[in-house]
Amino acid sequence: MTKKKIAIYRFMSAGCNGCDVQIFECLVPRYKLGDLGVEVVFTPEEANVLAITGSINVKGAEELKMAYRKLKSPKIVIAVGNCAATKGIFSKGYPIVGPPDRIVPVNLYIPGCPPRPQAIVSAIAKALGASLDEKEDYWSTPEGFRGKHKFDAEKCIGCGACAQVCSSDAIEVIDEDGKRLVRINYAQCTFCGFCQDECPTQAIRLTKEYHLSTDDKKMAYIVNEVEMLRCRICSSYYVPSKQIRWAIKRIMEKAAVYRDLRKELEDAMQICPECRRKIVNIRNAKRLLASLAIKTRVS
Amino acid sequence: MPEIVRIGPYKPQLLEPERFELLVENNKIIDVNIELGYVHRGIEDLFTKRTYMQNLALAERICGICSGVHTLCYAQTAEGIMDVEVPDRARYLRCIYMELERLHSHYLWFGVLAHTLHEHEVFLKVMTERERIQDLLEYLTGNRINYLINTIGGVRRDITAKKAERILEVLKDMKNLSDYLLMLLDRDGAFVEKTKEVGILPRSIALDVGAVGPTLRGSGVKSDIRRDDPYAAYGELDFEVVTEDEGDVLARTRVRVRETFESIRIIEQALENLPEGEISVKPGEPLEKEEIGRAEAPRGELIYYIRSNGTNIPERVKVRTPSFANNFALTEMLRGDIVQNARLIIESIDPCFACTDRITIIDVNTERKRGLES
Repeated sequence: MTKKKIAIYRFMSAGCNGCDVQIFECLVPRYKLGDLGVEVVFTPEEANVLAITGSINVKGAEELKMAYRKLKSPKIVIAVGNCAATKGIFSKGYPIVGPPDRIVPVNLYIPGCPPRPQAIVSAIAKALGASLDEKEDYWSTPEGFRGKHKFDAEKCIGCGACAQVCSSDAIEVIDEDGKRLVRINYAQCTFCGFCQDECPTQAIRLTKEYHLSTDDKKMAYIVNEVEMLRCRICSSYYVPSKQIRWAIKRIMEKAAVYRDLRKELEDAMQICPECRRKIVNIRNAKRLLASLAIKTRVS
Repeated sequence: MPEIVRIGPYKPQLLEPERFELLVENNKIIDVNIELGYVHRGIEDLFTKRTYMQNLALAERICGICSGVHTLCYAQTAEGIMDVEVPDRARYLRCIYMELERLHSHYLWFGVLAHTLHEHEVFLKVMTERERIQDLLEYLTGNRINYLINTIGGVRRDITAKKAERILEVLKDMKNLSDYLLMLLDRDGAFVEKTKEVGILPRSIALDVGAVGPTLRGSGVKSDIRRDDPYAAYGELDFEVVTEDEGDVLARTRVRVRETFESIRIIEQALENLPEGEISVKPGEPLEKEEIGRAEAPRGELIYYIRSNGTNIPERVKVRTPSFANNFALTEMLRGDIVQNARLIIESIDPCFACTDRITIIDVNTERKRGLES
C-alpha cells in the first residue's frame, strides 16, 4: 500500500456536526484509516488536506480563507457531507455565505447526510489510488438503509409530489420542450425518505448505495423524464400524460357508478386549467349578464 | 499582569467552533468571555419557511449527536398543536430509540475525555465498542446519525422480535463496557487524578445559573425531565435519577457513566413491556395556539416553543438547547481554576463544541502571542 503521508485538518462552520462525528469515528481501527497513511492533525500548518464539514456562514468565511492559506501544499480540499457540497438543508439560511467551493477550490465531494465513515475512508482510498478490501459485514448496508435514490421510470407519473414534500429543496420539477424532468440532487438531499413515503406510485426508492464521492458535484443528479400532454384548445404542454391517465383511473375506481362518464372526463382533462377557467368564465359571464338584464327589466 | 488566553474558534478534534477568551493572572483564570456564532445557520428562521413535517428533518440537524431527541421534542410539541394522541407502542419505541441515543452520546463523550487525557487505549476501546450502537441504530432506523425515527403522531419504524433480539445482544456488551469505564473511575489512575477537584460547580451556584442535565446532577441536584415531567413512556418505566455530590469533573463523568446503566435498564424494560398495536397515527390539522414541550436530551433539558396560526407552516419556533444553558455554568467552573485545566472543564459539560489545542496566549500589554504549552 502506498505510504503517501496525508495529514487532515478538519474545519467546520455552519453544519450540525454529524459529519464531524463521522470523521472522528473514522479513527476507529476497523476503518483502517491509519493503513492508508492518513492522520488527523490539529493545526492547519501541519496539514496538507483540509476536510470541510458544514456550509460556510458569515463568521466562518474569513477563518476558512485563513486556514486555507496556512495549509501545506498540495492543498487538497475535501467537502464532507451535503452541507459542504451544496449548503444542503440550510440553503435558505440568512447567515449562509455559500458552500465552501465559493470561497476555496474543492477537489473532492463526499455526499451523504452524514456520509458513513466507510464512505469517507473509501473515498480517500480511491483518491489515493489505493484499494481497501471491503469484506467485513460493516462495509455492506443493512436492510432499510436510506442511501442514493432510484427512479422506476415505468411507475413515475411525474406528478412532483416528491418535490412538494422534500425537506431540503433537493428535488426540482422542470418543464421544457414537451418533457417534464424530475431531478434529484443527492448532494443536497437529507436522505429523510419523505419522497419515498409520499410517492403515490412507489416510483422512487432509497437504495443501499452509499459510495457517492465525486470530484464534480454537477454529476450528483438523478433525473427521470416523462412525456407531457398538450392542451386541446391552446396546444400548450401542461401536465404529464401519465399523470392524467393515473388520475382518470383513480377517479373511475372511486366513482364506478359513473362509468359512462369516462369519455367526458377524458375530454375535460385534456384541457389545461387556464383554458378551462376561460370556458367556465364565459358561461358565468353570460349568466351574470342574463340576470342583470332580468333585474333591469323588473325595475 | 493579566493575560488573555484565546481558545478556538477552530479546533480540530470534535464538534463545533466557539471562541473562549480567558482572562488569566498568575496562571489562574479570573474571567471568561464566550463568543458564539460560528455555527449560526438561522434555523429558527428556516423553521417558518417549511411545513410541520418537513421541519422534522431540520430539527434533527440542529445537533448531530443528540439528533433524535430534537425530533422527539419537536414532534411532541407539534402533537400538542395538532391535538394528536400517540399510540402506546410508539411511546415505548420512542423511549428505546432515545435511550440508545443517550448511550452513544455518553460513550462518545467518554471517548473525547479519554482523548483529552491522552489515554489512547481507552479512547480506542470506547470508540470501537460504540460503533456497535451506531451499527445497531443504522440497522433499526436506516441512518447512523440522522435517524428521523420520530414523526408527528408516532414513530416511523417498528421493532420486530428479530430486531429486539439484536438490541439485547448489543446491550450485553455495552453493560460490560460501562462496567469497565466505572472501574476506571473507581481505581487510582489518570481518570481520577486529573479530574478530581477540577472545575468545581457548587450546588447553589449550579441552581443559580440554571445548569441542566448531567452538569446539574453532578452537583447533587436530582433533576431529570424524564422523572419530573414524564413524556413518552418514562412515567411507566422504573429508573433512577443518578446524582453525585462533589460537583467536579469527576462527578460529572461518574454521572454519565452511571446513567448508561440506567439507559440499558430502561431499554430492557421497554422491550419487555412493549404493547401491541399501531406505531403511528395521522395527525390532524394544526390548531391556532401556542405550545411548549420539553425533553431530557443527553446533555440536559431541551425546550421547544411553537406558535401556530392554523396553517401548515409554524409562525414561530424557538429552541433552547441544553448546551446553551450550561454555558453560564461553564463560566463559573472556569473562574478560579488553572488555565491548563480549561479544555478539560469545557469538555466536562459535554458541549456541542469542544475546544482543544489551538490556544494562544496574548499578553495584554505587549500583544505578544505564545502557545499554551510553551
